[in-house]
Amino acid sequence: MMTSVPPRKSWWTSKKTVKVIRSYPTFPSLNAWEKFRGLLPVDGETNPGVGLGVEEGLLCQMVHSPEFNLFPNSVVFESNFVQVRRSRNWKEIYKASNTMALGVTSSVPCLPLPNILLMARVKWHQGQSQTWNRPSRAPSINLKSILPLKFVELQIWDDQERVLRLRTVTEKIYYLKLHPDHPETVFHFWIRLVQILHKGLSITTKDPTILVTHCLVPKSLCSPGGKTELVQKKSKGLQPSESLTHLMAQGESETLSQIFSDLHQQKQYRSEKMHINKTSSEKATPCEDSIPCTCDLNWRDAFMFGEWERENPSGPQPLSLLGTLAASSRPRLSLTGGNSI
Amino acid sequence: AYAYLFKYIIIGDTGVGKSCLLLQFTDKRFQPVHDLTIGVEFGARMITIDGKQIKLQIWDTAGQESFRSITRSYYRGAAGALLVYDITRRDTFNHLTTWLEDARQHSNSNMVIMLIGNKSDLESRREVKKEEGEAFAREHGLIFMETSAKTASNVEEAFINTAKEIYEKIQEGVFDINNEANGIKIGPQHAATNASHGSNQGGQQAGGGCC
Repeated sequence: MMTSVPPRKSWWTSKKTVKVIRSYPTFPSLNAWEKFRGLLPVDGETNPGVGLGVEEGLLCQMVHSPEFNLFPNSVVFESNFVQVRRSRNWKEIYKASNTMALGVTSSVPCLPLPNILLMARVKWHQGQSQTWNRPSRAPSINLKSILPLKFVELQIWDDQERVLRLRTVTEKIYYLKLHPDHPETVFHFWIRLVQILHKGLSITTKDPTILVTHCLVPKSLCSPGGKTELVQKKSKGLQPSESLTHLMAQGESETLSQIFSDLHQQKQYRSEKMHINKTSSEKATPCEDSIPCTCDLNWRDAFMFGEWERENPSGPQPLSLLGTLAASSRPRLSLTGGNSI
Repeated sequence: AYAYLFKYIIIGDTGVGKSCLLLQFTDKRFQPVHDLTIGVEFGARMITIDGKQIKLQIWDTAGQESFRSITRSYYRGAAGALLVYDITRRDTFNHLTTWLEDARQHSNSNMVIMLIGNKSDLESRREVKKEEGEAFAREHGLIFMETSAKTASNVEEAFINTAKEIYEKIQEGVFDINNEANGIKIGPQHAATNASHGSNQGGQQAGGGCC
């Protein structure tokens, strides 16, 4: 349980090591924020991510606190979820006062995609707003696990009910319903995150328009249908400089930047129809819960090649290494039509 | 509130019972079938040593190499390590040297390491003699215990004796408690009183939380 909250820093200012030129408007229009204006802190918090509880929230405060001191320079994107189980309707597993904080971050801030998933159990006091990131009385929060994202599959499972499915490579499955106190906007961020993790950004090798010449993962992972063979290990470290410079210039986890930048483009979400999901009935495929499909096996097999990726590099990583982080999961994970990583 | 927080890390081959030891220590229960650990799972418990409340923050790490990708960096800042092998599997004992090298390479030199021969309830299947464990521990300067996460035999003792050893090192001034790399943090309340100690320069506030 946290009894004190570390000094708050503005994500926009203090966590940057390299200045990033952003293309989105610096301030959102007032209209765009109207729907969640009520969540903004009384002291006039100017950071919308903080206001929405997705940035500098309880999970972030905990992992950055002296007690853990983890990933101190990385942004954490987080939300509060209720763990549910499948039945006719989604049923809560725990009492309403017990929720799960789920977040993503990067072990190294310069990585283009987040590579860490954080899970924590939160126990709230009665009547407390459960998305508030600076409650007057701190809830009890216990960090449960740090999972490398490459061992996790995230899917938008039920967009109507705002349910994510989280599946680990060891077949542990969680259904997590976004807490009702979160506005719709927050679920759109998760949709966007899943999309980005699945499809990549323009600077990552998931973007099919970028030719990756060096890749340390088996070829089959880079090009669907290819034979499983390890591509020249000696290529590691070659030709990294120009792309690395580009990556380093981002100076931040690009995905998280993207997510938070979306805060400034509210209106886009209203018109954007995500092609992420099928209807609930379509989701009820035979293999959805426990029986892995063939593509799953590929997914799991991919993790046996652990040598190609280090989540905590001591220095800058070549593009090939960063690229495989993004590329490894591309072709295989759409089990039920949902987006996944 | 706690006087000190000690960070522990549990390491060892897959299937030796690391997660079960943690569960037994934190929840006092045994789970015969346990999922493979991926990355790091956390547990915490308060104990009392010398009248002082000490919070143990325990990092249970993946034993399987393919799931260990982020784990090594977490040795950093550990005050104690539980190095576990399975007395019924000789190979897990044979790998201890590798684990020890790994731990020593990535952690601070003062880290207290407790060698644990787990599954002592399975005497009929024993492949590693107790004396072998003792000899290995003696040779490498480790503390040694045999435990059973199933019966809870020696589980409390393993965690608590490690904490006692760390506590003694603090008293002897071996650990610089102001250096976070040592895996020790001073609790919010204790920080003020500790400010008067000679070893504490500047009376740091290192709390940040309690259990």
